[in-house]
Amino acid sequence: MENNTDTIIGINVTLKGNLHNKGSIQVNGNIDGEVRSDENILIGETATIKGPVIAKKIEISGEVKGLVDASEKLEINSSGRIYGDITAKSLVIKEGAIFVGKSTSSSTPEKQSEQNKEKVKEEEVEKTEAGDNKDKLGFFSKK
Amino acid sequence: MYYYIFDLKKCRKHSQVTDIKNYLASLGISGEFTYPSAAASVEELVDLGLNKKYNTIVGVGGDEIANRIASKLVGQSEVMGLIPLETSNDLNRLIGTGNWKDAAENLRYRRVMETRIGLTANGSSFLTDLNLDLKNPTEVTLEFRDYLVQARATSVVISNFSERIKKIAPDHLDIEVRSAGPKQTGIVSAISGLFGGKKEALGYSVFRARSLRLFTNSQVNLKSGGYVLAKTPQLIESSDEDLRLIVGKKT
Repeated sequence: MENNTDTIIGINVTLKGNLHNKGSIQVNGNIDGEVRSDENILIGETATIKGPVIAKKIEISGEVKGLVDASEKLEINSSGRIYGDITAKSLVIKEGAIFVGKSTSSSTPEKQSEQNKEKVKEEEVEKTEAGDNKDKLGFFSKK
Repeated sequence: MYYYIFDLKKCRKHSQVTDIKNYLASLGISGEFTYPSAAASVEELVDLGLNKKYNTIVGVGGDEIANRIASKLVGQSEVMGLIPLETSNDLNRLIGTGNWKDAAENLRYRRVMETRIGLTANGSSFLTDLNLDLKNPTEVTLEFRDYLVQARATSVVISNFSERIKKIAPDHLDIEVRSAGPKQTGIVSAISGLFGGKKEALGYSVFRARSLRLFTNSQVNLKSGGYVLAKTPQLIESSDEDLRLIVGKKT
């Protein structure tokens, strides 16, 4: 793990500020600020984070006070504690985990774009209908 | 073509200097041989070699002479070579050998690798790593661009090249911190001692950065290859430019 992870915050270490990484992050210490990775974030049992946690995959065994946003998968282990809202495409909460907040499931980009297309169609239909109604009422034909 | 700077402190006997010179001559890569003194430092000798249009400056000695030559040649088109004498393992690994005869052979084959080096604000440089010389757990603060890190550290190592840690970005330094828990006494200390192994593993931190500032409550030495290179507080950064270094075939 030591060699494959971009950044590791050890136990009894305090980090203040925003940690943004392309590679994976492992946290066993304390962070006061935002933690963001383009890959994975692993939050160990001894970790406490006050701030948003954002990554592709997030595994939580420690404590997070703040928003958690996993674009792929969020796993909260039995020792994990989250006090804040979460967003994840796939969510696993193990028995014993504590989660206080609102959960939102993010859908895939394809589904989102399909939904957006449908919304646009609906709006167009509504506009056309509204236009027809306007025309029916004689706004455009009135001389 | 070859300009050699000997660190005589690292030569076991004066006859070793003669042996090295003879071997270089037998390989056909003899050149000008110089020795630092009170009259001319290593850096001044490098300048002299560059003024004389030598394209290869070779240090014969340990980590100190290697680091001092590197600080003058980084960003230059001239190539640096090293014939190691009592060098650190990391430096041996970087150049591909710890044996002076093999290193001399490598000079002849002249395989050049471009590498960044570590720099300190006091004008020193390091090819491998920089160790905070701690006798006891000490409060340290590492200030990075976007965040700062505080720990009661048992060791802090800032690496440009190290066999212990996988380098992820060539233009970044790798910073390893081993932390100790808060001061404990009596029974609490005894109990925590039982779980020491696991805690030790969890007390390992690693950060990657182009630059950092390192602070300690009192001044502490920063050593490279066993000698004092700088002191805290210190700004440490990766060089913007490359050093052209002769390495072994398998490096």
